[in-house]
Amino acid sequence: MSATVTQDMSLLHLVTSASLPVQLVMLMLLIASLLSWWFIFRKLFAIREAIKQSDEFENTFWRGVDLNALYQRAAGARDRAGSMERIFEAGFREFTKHQSGMDIGAIMDSTRGAMRAAYQREMDRLEAHLSFLATVGSVSPYVGLFGTVWGIMNSFRELSNLTQATIAHVAPGIAEALIATAMGLFAAIPAVIAYNRYASDTSQLATRYESFMEELSNVLQRRAVKL
Amino acid sequence: MTTLAWRRASDEEPGLIRSAALALLVHIVFFGFMVFGLNWRNDPNESMAVDLWRDMPQQPIKPQPVIKEPIKELPKPTPPAQEPVKPQPEPVQPKSEPVKIKNPPPRKPAIEIKEKIEPPKTIQEEKKVEPVQEKVPKPEPVKEQVKKPEPIKEVEKKVEPERELPEKEQKTVEQDVLAQLAAQKSKALDEIAKYKAMIQAKIRSRIVTPPDLPGNPMVEFRVTLLPGGDVLKVSLRKSSGYAAFDEAVERAIFLAKPLPIPPDPALFKEFRDFSLTVYYQDAL
Repeated sequence: MSATVTQDMSLLHLVTSASLPVQLVMLMLLIASLLSWWFIFRKLFAIREAIKQSDEFENTFWRGVDLNALYQRAAGARDRAGSMERIFEAGFREFTKHQSGMDIGAIMDSTRGAMRAAYQREMDRLEAHLSFLATVGSVSPYVGLFGTVWGIMNSFRELSNLTQATIAHVAPGIAEALIATAMGLFAAIPAVIAYNRYASDTSQLATRYESFMEELSNVLQRRAVKL
Repeated sequence: MTTLAWRRASDEEPGLIRSAALALLVHIVFFGFMVFGLNWRNDPNESMAVDLWRDMPQQPIKPQPVIKEPIKELPKPTPPAQEPVKPQPEPVQPKSEPVKIKNPPPRKPAIEIKEKIEPPKTIQEEKKVEPVQEKVPKPEPVKEQVKKPEPIKEVEKKVEPERELPEKEQKTVEQDVLAQLAAQKSKALDEIAKYKAMIQAKIRSRIVTPPDLPGNPMVEFRVTLLPGGDVLKVSLRKSSGYAAFDEAVERAIFLAKPLPIPPDPALFKEFRDFSLTVYYQDAL
């Protein structure tokens, strides 16, 4: 009993005294956790920015600004443009290319095609790294569990050499091993929460973009008929 | 051309470095909290608590002389008790005396505990062994000592003349055996006295005394213990006249369980059933 009392049970000591496979598992989990938090913050900023830009663009678009002026602005500042602005830019460029008395149906088809392509690229960009978060969220608990099982196996194997086994002999090994599970959960829980949150955010954005595309194509079609 | 433009736009994602820094910060904060914020070590407080336990029983033994009310002779008989133990080849009578003198110590504390085997009995047993020698002169001083608190000098005077007489007798071997037995007995009695002092100390520390009782009322309980020190039964033998005080002591006895009892199972019979006396002034 006194042996355990004096034993250093600090986190650092437990990590450094763990066996190599457990340490590798911990390292993996640490990297996974770092990356997933990096992506969590990146996605947080990116999605917040996308929502803000979409709001702004929809506001200016429905206020009845001249479409040509809007297009000029979007094409001029492409780097800072939001997703919705880029979709609009792609569609409007395609639309203006075919103005010399072509069939309206053909014009609208190619315009929709261009917008859809831009939309796919934007969605691809928004959804990038979400799969990584999903993977970390679902896999890292198992990886941590693997480290724990390995560590406990080792501590029981060492126990078999002792004639008289007390809880004090197993406890440090199990504590070491359980840190792996803790790290796995630490990596997984934020990743799962962030994944669910961002997935719903992006799907909301996707429906907004899709409805905007329909509305824009209607506006352009009316414009083509008038011309 | 356009795809290149998209690439560039996506590469210049707003908070790439900022989010990396934030991710690092999250981990540093979390692990910092785990390492420094939580107490991972078992503090050695427990060992300090153990020290206190060891100390407590010894304290009540010292204050004994202060309490003169129960028996006044107490402080005096103790010194002779140690002297006679050493000379083993001495006659049987001087040995019977140390036993007798040793018995008083348990009475010293405010809380008396009378064992089933009471001091007079042991003396009588040894007297039975003795009668072969000279019965008449010795038992009398013995009884005198029990009843009247006499100064040490008188005791010693009586002891000395007795010593010289038995030297002439042949049964030295028997006497040696008896002396050893007596020594063992006195050792056991020492142990019993020690644990009784511990029991008293433990119970006394648990008593929540009702304030301002007049005088120094005394309450006597009969306590039955289980092996292991658990209290089986407590019955009031003699009330102090103040129900509140009686109840306080009774509660204290139950609160004090498990009571400290000697590890030697042979000594437990002394503790199975004993009477416990508590004086109000000492419980304060």
